[in-house]
Amino acid sequence: MNLLRQSLTKLAVIWALAIVFLGLTVTTDNFFSVMNLRNILDQQAFVLIIAGFATIVIISGGFDVSLGAIYILSPIVALKVENTTGSVLYMVLAGAAVGITAGIINGLIIAYGNINSFITTLATSFILFGLAYILSDGSILMISDIESRSFVTTKIFGITSATWMAFVFLIISWILLERTRFGRSIFAVGGNIEAARLSGIRVNRIQIIAFTLGGFGAGLAGALNSIRTTSAQASDDFSVIFAVIAAIVVGGTSIAGGSGAIWRSVAGVFFIAILVNGFNLNGIDPVFQRIIQGLVILLAVGADSIRSTRKT
Amino acid sequence: MKIEVKEISKRFGATLALDSVALTFESGEIHTLVGENGAGKSTLGKIIAGVYQKDSGTILIDGQVVEYATTYEALQRGITIIAQELSLVPARSVIENVFLGIEDTSGPFVARKKLRERFTKLVASSGIDINPDTPVGALRNGDQQKVEILRALARNSTTIVMDEPTARLSADETSALKHLIIDLKAKGHTIIFVSHFLNDVLEISDKISIMRDGRLVRTSFPAEENHNTLVEAMTGAGFGKVFPEKSTASQSGATVLKVNNLTAGNRFKDISFEIKSGEILGIAGLVGSGRTELVRSIFGVDRFDSGSVEYLGATMNRFSPAKSIKFGIGFLPESRKDQGIIPARSLSENISLPHLSALSRFGWINKSAERGLVNKFFAMCGIKAASAQVHISTLSGGNQQKALFARTLAGSPKLFIADEPTRGVDVGSKRAIYDLLTAQAAAGMAILVVSSELDEVVGITHRVLVMREGQIVKELAGSAVTENAVLEAAFAGKVS
Repeated sequence: MNLLRQSLTKLAVIWALAIVFLGLTVTTDNFFSVMNLRNILDQQAFVLIIAGFATIVIISGGFDVSLGAIYILSPIVALKVENTTGSVLYMVLAGAAVGITAGIINGLIIAYGNINSFITTLATSFILFGLAYILSDGSILMISDIESRSFVTTKIFGITSATWMAFVFLIISWILLERTRFGRSIFAVGGNIEAARLSGIRVNRIQIIAFTLGGFGAGLAGALNSIRTTSAQASDDFSVIFAVIAAIVVGGTSIAGGSGAIWRSVAGVFFIAILVNGFNLNGIDPVFQRIIQGLVILLAVGADSIRSTRKT
Repeated sequence: MKIEVKEISKRFGATLALDSVALTFESGEIHTLVGENGAGKSTLGKIIAGVYQKDSGTILIDGQVVEYATTYEALQRGITIIAQELSLVPARSVIENVFLGIEDTSGPFVARKKLRERFTKLVASSGIDINPDTPVGALRNGDQQKVEILRALARNSTTIVMDEPTARLSADETSALKHLIIDLKAKGHTIIFVSHFLNDVLEISDKISIMRDGRLVRTSFPAEENHNTLVEAMTGAGFGKVFPEKSTASQSGATVLKVNNLTAGNRFKDISFEIKSGEILGIAGLVGSGRTELVRSIFGVDRFDSGSVEYLGATMNRFSPAKSIKFGIGFLPESRKDQGIIPARSLSENISLPHLSALSRFGWINKSAERGLVNKFFAMCGIKAASAQVHISTLSGGNQQKALFARTLAGSPKLFIADEPTRGVDVGSKRAIYDLLTAQAAAGMAILVVSSELDEVVGITHRVLVMREGQIVKELAGSAVTENAVLEAAFAGKVS
């Protein structure tokens, strides 16, 4: 009984995912097909690349809203590099470098300036968006070698290379969090920053590394996405950041820091993705989709909050 | 107002916190609930005040059966609780806090003049005098508590439940509060007093109800009880003494730490002392006398301005907690909750946290080495838990504190700095912690104990430094260490 209740609350997102999955399998004809499921997976590649490291940031007690701006700025820099060098590898490295640089700056301000991470990254977001407009001169940048798309679209065992990259990054972030000293430090800093400091953890360093990883993921995802779409501009859609945060929260990682897991974010990503897919297959108006998504997030966070207040 | 509770039971998950408890609180008495952590005394207080809801049983007020589910409803019946963690708005003034939610208004505006008149009346009738314009956050703990009491009185509460009100107070603040409580009683208020501090309990109670494992053991008059009978009833066993046998400090031990003229702004000045291997050195003094600030600087958490620290004969430079831990200095912080535990993680992870560099290679944690270290100190510190994998937040305060001891001792420190080692810990765990400290000292560890509990200072230390206003004002050793001598030095002879 107790075990059942525990698995119900601890694995809530898995149950929700399973219920939605089964429900759609039964009710919606085209849902349970290899092609549809592969599509869902491939569509989430870029969200997953960001979500792994962003989960680490949130567990460390930080909140990075600038991931959206990094996701926009990175491909602009990356495409400029590609246009001059013609190399897709340099392009990806440039995108990652943008993310790492922005992440280090965020981390330095948050750790040494002792400024709230939400406010810091909100401010740097404006700066990064501004830079994106300046660098692109307000116009669309195109990839010079359209063949480069194969970098992210090549199918391996029926799944795109971008999705495989996402798997690799998720495994890296999972190992970092669960198996290393760094991971323990992340949990400690997010759970009780004073206790972490008194336990000899170099709190500033941990925060900087966390934000750097977060920026790295967003920068990389931005560059890879622009390879797929073959273009980028400063006014592109940056709502991917909302998708990432929604997935992390729905998965059950605490926004207050100190607890959470990579698998939770993965489950959160797929829960939302399958839900949206179900809406689309059933022809529900995208406007209502958004409203329902918002309600689902509130439900997830609300259930978590009720559970934690009952405990005390 | 007479409050009777009958057959009250309350369950939290798997634990039965209250098991059909029946008690009567007469009007105008100070009725104390004592017991170890987890005995159910706080739970009962909180049910009476509407913080928790009972699972079964009845509550009668003046003979009438009443039902209420919230603190608001309890308040309307004249019952208020002053919780362990104060619930004030720190950035706002005393007067705003006192009348929060019950302000006089004219139209949409607060009638400030009327409020001031009410405050003046309240001060006159209660005898509690506090500047109404001071922001609450700038007050000492004891004064903040007075604000809570004023707030209760402003709402015409006749019964006040006080949950561990003296736990965070210094000795002088505690004695002021005791006077205040006796005063409130004289004015006809009923006080339900929940406390760990048996001396306070014996001093001010009209009646004492002893609880154990969710049940009432007995209700008696303080004249019928003493320290030992209370402890025996609380623990349910012939408990013996609270403190272990004192060993004599070896005079030949090597000097572990030598502090020379350490000064940090107005926090502490010109501090010099040394501590030898095998010695338990106490630092006593009032809260705010600079004790915690001093040991934090020695450990490398905060900076100091001048002076030097020699550790094992070598002068330390570039202080940081990480460096201190590496060198074999252990630190047990003052506040378990704010500075100690990582609540959402396992006992095991909490214990191994400062020692991960020794337990890992290239950042990769060697799980079996970690398990070995954790299990050793888990057993040594006598932690009661199903396994080392449970969340630390599920344990009682005493066991959490033992876990922090395990964390510190797992580094095999040569110097152990313990700031309030038994704060908020039940009697049984206290003895276990004292045994642990004594055994470590006997094995050659140097132990520096900061403590506000006089009996503890007298009970376990070999030598005591008394601090006042940032300076060491007295050093006492051996049989000269008595509660009176320490108090006198702490108050500079102002104590009666």
